[in-house]
Amino acid sequence: MKKKKIGVYICHCGGNISDYVDVEKVRQAVEGEDIVFLAKTTMFACSDANQREMVNDIEANGLTSVVVASCSPKLHLLTFRNVTQRANLNKYTYVHANIREQASWAHSDNKIGATEKAIHLVKAAIAKANYAEALETNKVKALKSVAVIGAGVAGMKAAISLSNKECEVVLIEKEPFVGGRVSQWDSLSTTTETGKEIVNRLYNDLITRENITICTNSEVISNKGSVGNFTLKIKKTPRYISTSFHPEDLKKAIEVCPVEVPDEFNFRLTPRKAIYKNYPGEYPQTPVIDLKNCTRCGACEKVCPAVNFSEEEDIIEISVGSVLMATGFDPYTPAYGEFGYATSENVITLPQFKRLIDEQSDTLVYKGKAIQNIAYIYCVGSRQAKGDNTYCSRNCCTSTIHAALTAKNKFPDINNFHFNRGLRTYGKQEILYADSLRSGDIYLQSYEDGLPTVTIEGKKTIVKINDILTNGKEIEVEADLVVLVTGMVPRADNKVGTLFKLPKGRDKFYNEIHMKLRPVETVIDGVTIAGACQGPKNIAESVNSALSAATKSYSIISKGELESEPLVATIDPDRCTWCGACEAACPFDAIMKSEKEGKIIAAINNAVCKGCGMCAPVCEPDAINVTACSSTEIMSMIDALV
Amino acid sequence: MAKINPSFGKELNKYGAINSNACYNCGNCTAVCSLSTEEVSFPREMVRLSTLGLEDDIQSSLKPWECYYCGECSTHCPQEANPSELMMSLRRYLTAKYDWTGLSGLMYKSLPLSIAAFVLTLVGVLIFAFSVDFVLEKMVHIGHLFEMIAIGTVGLVILLPNVARMWWFTILKPGTKVSFKKYLSSMGDLFVHMFTQKRALGCDDNQLRWFEHFLMVIGYLSLLFTTVFLNWFSSEYLIVTIFGYVVSAIVFVVTFDFVLSRIKKKKEISKHSQPSDWFFVIWLFLMGLSAFMVRLFIDLDLLETNKWLYLVHLTVLVQWALIIVPFGKWTHFLYRSFAMYFAKLKA
Ligand SMILES: Cc1cc2nc3c(=O)[nH]c(=O)nc-3n(C[C@H](O)[C@H](O)[C@H](O)COP(=O)(O)OP(=O)(O)OC[C@H]3O[C@@H](n4cnc5c(N)ncnc54)[C@H](O)[C@@H]3O)c2cc1C
Ligand code: SF4
Ligand code: SF4
Ligand code: SF4
Ligand code: SF4
Repeated sequence: MKKKKIGVYICHCGGNISDYVDVEKVRQAVEGEDIVFLAKTTMFACSDANQREMVNDIEANGLTSVVVASCSPKLHLLTFRNVTQRANLNKYTYVHANIREQASWAHSDNKIGATEKAIHLVKAAIAKANYAEALETNKVKALKSVAVIGAGVAGMKAAISLSNKECEVVLIEKEPFVGGRVSQWDSLSTTTETGKEIVNRLYNDLITRENITICTNSEVISNKGSVGNFTLKIKKTPRYISTSFHPEDLKKAIEVCPVEVPDEFNFRLTPRKAIYKNYPGEYPQTPVIDLKNCTRCGACEKVCPAVNFSEEEDIIEISVGSVLMATGFDPYTPAYGEFGYATSENVITLPQFKRLIDEQSDTLVYKGKAIQNIAYIYCVGSRQAKGDNTYCSRNCCTSTIHAALTAKNKFPDINNFHFNRGLRTYGKQEILYADSLRSGDIYLQSYEDGLPTVTIEGKKTIVKINDILTNGKEIEVEADLVVLVTGMVPRADNKVGTLFKLPKGRDKFYNEIHMKLRPVETVIDGVTIAGACQGPKNIAESVNSALSAATKSYSIISKGELESEPLVATIDPDRCTWCGACEAACPFDAIMKSEKEGKIIAAINNAVCKGCGMCAPVCEPDAINVTACSSTEIMSMIDALV
Repeated sequence: MAKINPSFGKELNKYGAINSNACYNCGNCTAVCSLSTEEVSFPREMVRLSTLGLEDDIQSSLKPWECYYCGECSTHCPQEANPSELMMSLRRYLTAKYDWTGLSGLMYKSLPLSIAAFVLTLVGVLIFAFSVDFVLEKMVHIGHLFEMIAIGTVGLVILLPNVARMWWFTILKPGTKVSFKKYLSSMGDLFVHMFTQKRALGCDDNQLRWFEHFLMVIGYLSLLFTTVFLNWFSSEYLIVTIFGYVVSAIVFVVTFDFVLSRIKKKKEISKHSQPSDWFFVIWLFLMGLSAFMVRLFIDLDLLETNKWLYLVHLTVLVQWALIIVPFGKWTHFLYRSFAMYFAKLKA
């Protein structure tokens, strides 16, 4: 090995370091080391002037490595790597020592100790620099295609956005029809367009695009590979109805079907047949037979030739460079007895109420009874003082006020009573709140420790509250209908999330890397998230995140090639005995069994490996080295430290 | 346990409330009100009770009377819920509730009914004039008699029972215990507030309006005294004559300014005038002016040839005494001062 010429820079950090660490003493302590060519102190290592000086030093003296002892590498590792690069030195030869957080700040009560520790830290860095090698970034091929999972507004909008790029899109929807939740809401807040109109608009745009493949009634059942090249298996359930159907025959077929099951689309308010379509203008236009509930009686087959029970389940395999997850949310289902849910027949949820007012005209009737007084109880399943869902579902205040206003316009005799915990009609939605107040809706408020109660007295349903806006006075409303304002929860069926190992946040929705700065990326490289699967969002917010996730997914694969850090694990094929311990230890699924020259050994997927080092210590024959953290390097650092 | 009455808001709109439902309980109004205190906090609380339609709480409350309508709260209300106008409409509503005859309420809520009452009294005056063959001396004499009888009757039959009802709504019904001694010792407040309206001075930047109002009250009471007890129109005493001129002039000059500001609508207080407000200021103005003119015509010996002038004065007077005093805005003079008295009892 050629003898190294290392430059060492010890930073004052304007006093942050030098107030407690004697930087000059540190400099003197390392100056004499054999491989240290020069050692300097500097007021601010990151300053332009010092960076220029470093470039000059490297070029003039032909330094082979640089060590800066300063603040946390989180702050300036990249800064100094770039400095070495500007001086035509491979950036991986740079080594960082943190003597601010780890020495001066941690030991401000002991200057001598702090200085001594700093000396050791810098010596360890020098030891590491002695072994530092020039490394090149890894390059992996990236397929220019994206799988979008979930065809709600978020998924559909993301697919459209991606299709504008040079990119193949596969849009995978679990349900037989597209649109997600939005197709279930008729009128929507803040714009006059209905949910169905929005969904239709998106669908009509989708089908004109040649580079989008829409798979409905389809689910991803396996996932292999990694960023740049995911291989997905998709299970396609047939509709059992051929696309060349005659509408009149099909109508008859639906009529004759004897099976009735609760209609999930209407949140179980009404029944539907086993052969069905949720609403007339729904897309795709072919109805579907729900085989789980179908008794195969054959009644439909007799009246409609398009019914075809011989269609078979299909499993297809696709390969894509990136995956965009847009699987949406479920409305919260209240617990048995929660505010009278399921125990009183006058209690329903907000989604049910929305369906109810959409379906009815002239007078509002529920279970045969005309409705006049409606009590809305807010934050059910959200902002829980006792449950897990401590978050606010963001959208429900606005949706409730909007639904209450819609109901009042449609059925002028009703009275709306809103039992809330402080309204959150943020932004432009505030106008709705003002409209609602002016229309005479009444708002009663409590804190989390004084929630309203629902009691059933004979046929009456009484809602009581100690209204904090009226000096805590107990106020009661005899309600004909109680609407529980249920918030959003993650989809109960999370098979697809598990398949991709998507991490979840405290709210149990999919988690982004950084709420503010990396809001649509996940720690799984190549998988982005959009819409309400990430947390409660309204349509505008869902679409916003869909557009940024589409851009992010595309930017990962747009070059057809991925570059990744060379700091990954490597396997020594001679030593590896394939015990499988490393595969189990790797949190990123980067290790696979493979064959090399007839020997079964472990192989590292460079595109996925994060260089975390979890695998190295579990490897008994010591076959794993993590680049730039090899055993030799680490041992030499330990030697310098002790 | 209180039950909400969502239609109360609509009822209150008939008394002049505007958009009070828009209130979102921010409390700005209470914060800026210079008369609201920690113990007696308004107007948000009254807006709230009105929104919910908790009539029992409203009827037992004295707070509407503790507001002197500076309008600051409405200026600062972000929802344009007009809390000051709400307080005003509550005063009308309460006036209607205190009135055992129920006529106040009917007239507040229905302009045609008020006009009919005014027309009816006009017809009555004309019939009376006919019946005495338009003999001026008789008319003036009976007019004077009428004044005295009207004051006594309205006072005893309408105002006294109504004040008693107010007492019942605000003190007895809510079960407030007050010792007899306290009734006596607080009496002073009643008169101080009745004649000075001193509480209104607590409103910011209100000194001029207070002074005008004070002048008007003193002018009005003195005019009443001079015409009724000193029989101004028939008085021989120079001093009485001059005093009458002065006080009647005060009444019409000050009320003219009041009418003008209601037309200009510059200040919050004069922005939203209900018919009852117009009747009150215009009739006061007409009364002052017509009384002044009648005496002037007497002194110039012109009345005999201009009997119509006396008839105009008499009509204004009758309408004032039979409509505005018992069933109109006049009563606020009484209720306000009694409210301060009762508030002292409650404290
Ligand atoms: C009662 C209520 C009223 C609302 N009213 C309004 C309103 O007026 N205005 C407004 O802006 N917002 C409103 N919203 C919010 C709106 O519904 C959401 O913003 C929107 O639905 C989010 O869209 P999304 O595509 O993220 O999710 P979803 O609409 O939930 O769509 C997700 C899609 O993914 C599919 N999917 C799920 N899992 C899988 C899987 N494993 N594989 C394949 N596909 C899968 C689902 O079937 C679905 O089609 C309301 C919400 C509620 C609860
Ligand atoms: S949006 Fe409103 S109802 Fe929904 S959780 Fe938040 S505060 Fe509660
Ligand atoms: S270094 Fe970490 S990510 Fe890479 S293979 Fe080892 S355990 Fe997996
Ligand atoms: S009008 Fe003035 S006195 Fe009356 S409540 Fe408003 S701020 Fe207070
Ligand atoms: S300022 Fe307006 S909105 Fe605020 S509490 Fe008063 S009346 Fe209500």
